[in-house]
Amino acid sequence: MWTVFKLQWQRLFKNPLVVLTFLGLTVLFVNFLGGIQSDQKIITRTYSEELTIEELDEWITKLNEDDTFVFEASDYDSIYERIRMNETSFALELNEESYRFLVGREDMELSPIIQHVDQVFSREKRIAQLEESDLSEAFELQTFIELTTVLSDDESNVSQGFPVAILAGVTFYFSAFSIFYLMINLIEEKKMGTWNRLIFSPLSKTKIYLGQMLHYFLVGLVQIALSFIILSNLIDVDLGTNYVPMLVVILSFIFAIVSIGMFIIGIVSSPQQLQIVIPIVATSMAMIGGAFWPLEIVNNRILLFLAELMPIKHGIQGMMGVVNQGSSVSEVFVPIATLLFMGVFFMGIGLNLMERVSEKSSL
Amino acid sequence: MLETRELTKKFKEHVAVHNVSLYLNEGESVGLLGPNGAGKSTTISMMSTLLPPTSGEVHFKGKDALKNPQGLRQVLGVVPQEIALYEELSAYENMKFFGRIYGLKGEKLEKRIEDVLELIGLTERKKDAVETYSGGMKRRINIGVTLLHEPEVLIMDEPTVGIDPQSRNYILEMIRKLNREKNMTILYTSHYMEEVEKLCDRVYIMDHGEIIASGTNQELKDILSSDETIRIDVESLSSEFLERLSEHPVVQKVMQEEQGYKVIATKGDDLLGDVFDMAKSAHTKITGIVVQTPTLEDVFLHLTGRKLRD
Ligand SMILES: Nc1ncnc2c1ncn2[C@@H]1O[C@H](COP(=O)(O)OP(=O)(O)OP(=O)(O)O)[C@@H](O)[C@H]1O
Ligand SMILES: [Mg+2]
Repeated sequence: MWTVFKLQWQRLFKNPLVVLTFLGLTVLFVNFLGGIQSDQKIITRTYSEELTIEELDEWITKLNEDDTFVFEASDYDSIYERIRMNETSFALELNEESYRFLVGREDMELSPIIQHVDQVFSREKRIAQLEESDLSEAFELQTFIELTTVLSDDESNVSQGFPVAILAGVTFYFSAFSIFYLMINLIEEKKMGTWNRLIFSPLSKTKIYLGQMLHYFLVGLVQIALSFIILSNLIDVDLGTNYVPMLVVILSFIFAIVSIGMFIIGIVSSPQQLQIVIPIVATSMAMIGGAFWPLEIVNNRILLFLAELMPIKHGIQGMMGVVNQGSSVSEVFVPIATLLFMGVFFMGIGLNLMERVSEKSSL
Repeated sequence: MLETRELTKKFKEHVAVHNVSLYLNEGESVGLLGPNGAGKSTTISMMSTLLPPTSGEVHFKGKDALKNPQGLRQVLGVVPQEIALYEELSAYENMKFFGRIYGLKGEKLEKRIEDVLELIGLTERKKDAVETYSGGMKRRINIGVTLLHEPEVLIMDEPTVGIDPQSRNYILEMIRKLNREKNMTILYTSHYMEEVEKLCDRVYIMDHGEIIASGTNQELKDILSSDETIRIDVESLSSEFLERLSEHPVVQKVMQEEQGYKVIATKGDDLLGDVFDMAKSAHTKITGIVVQTPTLEDVFLHLTGRKLRD
């Protein structure tokens, strides 16, 4: 078993490109996705047609009192240009008795800002009312181009857990990719005939499979570990020190992936077809499983149901529990158990399929 | 020593091997001869415990080798028809791996690798990746990897396919040495008659999944003892001449060749005289005529009406 295991590493070191590429892509992707989604503070450009500069500044100071949001004075023309060029997705127009948002495109960040502006505005209005006791004009809320309010109750949750989910999601996605790709080797060994050499040798089949599997398993583990280490140093995500539960989640995830890999190569037994099938399977699994965006923004029931069947979803969920809530192994038992179950299930079918194929393989 | 009993293999409805019984005695060199698709590879896959037969048994030293394959696997060497190596690795690395699989290690393994590299003449290239080798060199290392654990039984599936005559002679010489000097029991599969005639003590001839004849070279040729083979060269081929030849009462088989015809006929009758008459009336000019002693090729032709290689 160790001989087979060692050999696979020897072969991997001769051709490390696939794994290195996927590792590199992980780092790139996380930075890219993280860059878009977790831009710490979105600047809301603000202008006014009616107010004087001093009045506008006064408003902006009030709006900026809460430091989750940043408001900045600007003028209509430059804002219009920015929106047109897609550099800014929205802006705020303040007037004496009303405000309105100019919206170029929908943005997840918009609704909390609307809420915030609304709060500040009505507060000021009430103060003004008390001072003047004059209920003349109500404020109006209008949209300029199109305004769709995206409101969800757990908005704050999402933005908090998001970086970890992305980090885990993308890392898991590319490690699944690596594992699947390396598993093409198994099929190639069957084609090349080296598999046959192993079968008619004194080595038992169990040992051959174990040696191979262990290799894929470890490649996955090393890749995930490396990408977590590199990424947590590179971007501002704290994975914490909850190592044991984290390792258990990662190992269960890899087990599920190796098993699904067996299942895939059991069905599709030509390397050329696998080259096509693997990216499709890996990518759709990751997309449905929420590796690239939080499942909270999905509201299609079928997609949500499918997500449950994706190991990556449970992997991410486990990671989020471990990192965000500091869960112990028993607290993330559900995702771990789900992953292990998937592993056993697909491994069983996969091995059976593989053996059915080799019933027919002669010299 | 190694024996099969009525081995049969079906792939779905297609019967690839049907009731094949053959045996190898210790130290014997046996040929398995047959055209493409005869079922040779399938037969030896079953003999080497790789492919489970649909029915039948394989016995090694009196024990059922399918139920209990370990004994056989430990001392068996199989050379696959295709190059079965990790081509991105060097000859040395391949040998190290396959040696270890058979439990060799340390100095003993190094020594064996050295000896085998010497034997197959690849000592100088041992550090190069196999994918950079020539076809003949790949064939040699493909065999070499199988010899590391000094197998008692060596099964070779067309080990000389597609290589130049020089490499081929080298390999044949090597196999002969292993058989003579190490008393290795050898099953040699081929569709090259000359190889089998030169190398093997005994021959099985297979066609369409069945063994159609077996025996020593001489015994097989004796099948044709009452026949003779006549080669007739002509200036240009003529279908009329061919037809007349085929219809002649003592002629059994006629094969058309590049410059003429090969005729297998019953000995004794005066066929030659008739041949010239037939040629004349078919307006065909004979440029040469030879009466040959039969080869295994002729035996196959006689048994099946077809040539071994199409
Ligand atoms: N896995 C398989 N599935 C279906 N049919 C098969 C399979 N393997 C072999 N066959 C069929 O069995 C028959 C015998 O094949 P086999 O490879 O044993 O022939 P062979 O004598 O080794 O031929 P060659 O000289 O070309 O190597 C062929 O008709 C082949 O098509
Ligand atoms: Mg064959």
